[in-house]
Amino acid sequence: MKMKKLMALLLAAVMVLAMLAGCSSDGGNETKAPETDPPAESKTGTEESKAPEGGDKKYEGVELTMWSMWSTGEPQANVISEAAAAFEAETGAKVNIEFKGRDVNKVLSASLEAKEKIDIIEDDYQRIANTYPNILDLTDMAKAVNYDSWSYACLNNQVIEWVGHLNSIVEQPQIGGFFYDKTAFENAQVTSAPATWAEFLDACQKIKDSGVGPIAQDDAYCDFAFYHTLVRYLGEEKIAELDKNGGWSGTKAEQAAQDIIDLINKGYFVDGAPDAYPASQNKIGFGLAAMVICGNYVTAEVDGNTDTQVNWGFCNYPAVDGGADNSSVYGGANSLAITEYSENAQAAFDFIIFLTTGEWDQKMATEAKQIPADTRNKAYPSLEGSVEALQAAEKPMTWCAGLHENADLKDTIKSMCVELFEGKYADGAAFCAALDALYK
Amino acid sequence: MKKNKAMIFWFSLPAVLSLLIMFVYPVCRTVLMSFFQVESVTATMADWSFYGLGNYLKIFKSASFLTSMRNMLLIWFVGGIITLALAMLMSVVVTSGIRGKKFFRAVIYLPNIISAVALATMWIQYIFNYDYGLLNEIVQLFGGEKIKWLGTDLKFWAMTGSFVFGSVGYYMLIYISGIEGIPQDLYEAATIDGAGKVSQFTRITLPLLKGVIKTSLTFWSINTTTFFLWTKMFSPIDTESSTIVPVIYLYDMVFGGKGITQRDAGAGAAVGVVLTLIIIAVYLVTEWLFKGNDLEY
Amino acid sequence: MKKEKNTYRARINWRRELRLLPGYIIVLLWLAFTVVMLGWIIGASLSTSRDIYQGQIFKFATGFHWENYVTAWNTQNVSVFFGNSLLYSVVSCVGVLAISAPAAYVLSRWKFTGGKALRIGLVIAMSVPVIMVIMPIYSLSVQWGIKGRILLMVLYILLRVPYTTIYLLDFFSTLSRAYEEAAYLDGCSAPKTFLKIMLPLVQPAIVTVTIFNFMSVWNEFFMALIFTSNESMAPVGVGLLNIINAMKQTGQMGGMFAAVIIVFLPTFLLYIFLSEKIISGVTGGGVKG
Repeated sequence: MKMKKLMALLLAAVMVLAMLAGCSSDGGNETKAPETDPPAESKTGTEESKAPEGGDKKYEGVELTMWSMWSTGEPQANVISEAAAAFEAETGAKVNIEFKGRDVNKVLSASLEAKEKIDIIEDDYQRIANTYPNILDLTDMAKAVNYDSWSYACLNNQVIEWVGHLNSIVEQPQIGGFFYDKTAFENAQVTSAPATWAEFLDACQKIKDSGVGPIAQDDAYCDFAFYHTLVRYLGEEKIAELDKNGGWSGTKAEQAAQDIIDLINKGYFVDGAPDAYPASQNKIGFGLAAMVICGNYVTAEVDGNTDTQVNWGFCNYPAVDGGADNSSVYGGANSLAITEYSENAQAAFDFIIFLTTGEWDQKMATEAKQIPADTRNKAYPSLEGSVEALQAAEKPMTWCAGLHENADLKDTIKSMCVELFEGKYADGAAFCAALDALYK
Repeated sequence: MKKNKAMIFWFSLPAVLSLLIMFVYPVCRTVLMSFFQVESVTATMADWSFYGLGNYLKIFKSASFLTSMRNMLLIWFVGGIITLALAMLMSVVVTSGIRGKKFFRAVIYLPNIISAVALATMWIQYIFNYDYGLLNEIVQLFGGEKIKWLGTDLKFWAMTGSFVFGSVGYYMLIYISGIEGIPQDLYEAATIDGAGKVSQFTRITLPLLKGVIKTSLTFWSINTTTFFLWTKMFSPIDTESSTIVPVIYLYDMVFGGKGITQRDAGAGAAVGVVLTLIIIAVYLVTEWLFKGNDLEY
Repeated sequence: MKKEKNTYRARINWRRELRLLPGYIIVLLWLAFTVVMLGWIIGASLSTSRDIYQGQIFKFATGFHWENYVTAWNTQNVSVFFGNSLLYSVVSCVGVLAISAPAAYVLSRWKFTGGKALRIGLVIAMSVPVIMVIMPIYSLSVQWGIKGRILLMVLYILLRVPYTTIYLLDFFSTLSRAYEEAAYLDGCSAPKTFLKIMLPLVQPAIVTVTIFNFMSVWNEFFMALIFTSNESMAPVGVGLLNIINAMKQTGQMGGMFAAVIIVFLPTFLLYIFLSEKIISGVTGGGVKG
């Protein structure tokens, strides 16, 4: 009987708690926005267009819904929330932000198809370009604010090449390549960032001699690292073609794989590599490794994880002998886009511009430790020079798109890339033969 | 007792409706969908185009799907043997008359109440860590070389192992309840006859637990076909062939994955149907294996 | 209960204990591993990311970082996730009983048209894998515009109906019809008999099945991942995954494990107090199924 009373008591307590929880956390409840049309004479609103004080603000009563790829508590999410509050104070438009986390890409397609009430989406620009339906053409709006004057031409051109027009605005641009610890380089007497493969090998040897592991490598990025070598030797188009139909053997892919195997044999990877993400890249923060191939966010991750301030430097992947593409650099972005069926597209666009230029963009770059979307702003100190590098790039290298051409082999090839870095293959020819075996 | 038709109707109606909404309609639609070419999961039937067995041909030609099936079968078979054997061992030990029986039972069941997300993180960040992980510390203690538990060779087994650890407690409870249902005098008689613990186990416990073992087999099969979360934890950034399982394949197919721009809900439905058929087959086989000799005691 | 306690107090029979030694070793090893595992999570929750990634959590070189708990509670929605899980579990448990108990009762008492079909349908539904139903449900929910917490709770209720009904049905069948006959003679209507007399009689079964349902809903992950379109609706499992993803990138591993402990603690306390009940719920529920 005692047990029963206890149960009853507990159940009651649970009920009360549940009710409280139900009340306190209804952030998800969506109140339908009052249907107000945007003002007809919508002036091109950039951050400069200050709304008149008090009274009738530009977008009074307008409500926007934005689906974000970040999670609450992340610096990016905080900046977006603050910017939304500032935007509301200025224009009167309320932006309801739903933080969905990284898995937003799983729900976006279906939700956009079903025309759920979303005005602004935030995701990888390649997915926005190639995957999602019902995305608005932003060409005219962008022209009206002279978007080209402060954005990255290579990223915009890439979108236009994919879609035929501009359908997203860059929010968090990314650059990829070798991120290295300048101090480790200096200690090893490596004075300039290696530009060719020979210089690169030389640098690795010097770093190794100085007692530090030259290259850190995590399993999650093995395909990305190998892709760089492949691109140098073959170029992205050739990789895509091989990926689709096979025939790797006898191409320069063998040399690319051999280069990696040589690095392993010379002991240029840090102990434990390829390690489980993020164990290996953290070794840079602990002073055990000198460089890593990744996107620029690796700098913020390592600094945060290891509670240090690494003296970061960036260099492009070195050029190889007889390479087909010796200069391209990985470029990408998390971008913002507007739904085709949004009733307040102009207001949504104004918010996007508000967020990705001037003060708020600078804040995003500083707080999230990344590259600004507005080229007039400054990158986070550890990413110095990245704005210029991205501006100079002609055509960005994609995130392994060539190796994703054959969707069905994607996972297998990714695992094989890890095996390559684990030293499972005797030589480059063996690796390519194993790749070709997949197509039978 | 009089039949009260109105009451029967109103009392059973909600259950009937739940069955129709949650099971009958969706299952029929999924089965139907598996024979059509459907890109989006939300597409209306008007947008479906008949594809015959196309979806099935597609998935059985897909290297990813075949790998995922192989992985699932390995988890089911190897993981199953280990889990059920460990669970059996634990249940026998716990019921053997040791002190603190309830305590140990509670401890072994404990992983089941910790969020699997937390458990998996602990395994990945601590137990399997290359530099300072528990396993490598033990290996080094015995003078061995550090092992890459999360490398391509062992990652799958690392994942299966941590899944097994989390599952043992549940099956142990099932076996304990079975063992406690066996009359104690059978063992006493056997002890008097001079039978050792081992022969008591094989001669008495095992045969009398047949029904319970059958149940646990069915549960294990259903559990492994729905395997999902552990893969997601062990390959956090992108799906990898070393850890892929059918539900992950289906999830990527239906909702889109990192490098997948072409979604295919029809193929996803076909995966669902295949898994269901497997469950049915396993069920029938166990029924047949354990047929008719449910001992009474 | 009493009897067992007496045997525990009996004098230690060393020969007997020695025979059980291998058994002790096995469970003690298991216990040690569990303790290390929990200890590590607790240690990590009080350390900095740097300590964790260097494998030095038990040294506490920089002291105990209790602020991790504050960070986890404030910046992450731990309380929201927890509240959601509780809400989903409690509502589903109540909802499923409201649907299942009446159906189980009439099925156990009378033969009627469709009764047998319903019963068979319920048994089959119990072993239908979730992935078979998820796609049509997803498209239905989008078409009808149902989403968020309500959707998830409805789904959990519907999902648990077959199992719960079959489980309760067995118990109702064991009850003697004499109860109803007596009630009928007293002029009690059939529905009222069910509510006032029959339902209380199967209370132990209801408790067992409710615990089982509660745990299933609490631990459910796949549907929650697909159907919670918003972070503020996420239950513990999905929420923790979000936290882990976010904190991995911002280097707050300590905060992440603090979140794990915060989520784990209430469940753990409940488990300590109710482990008997929970275990019998799981075995009762499990073996029957």
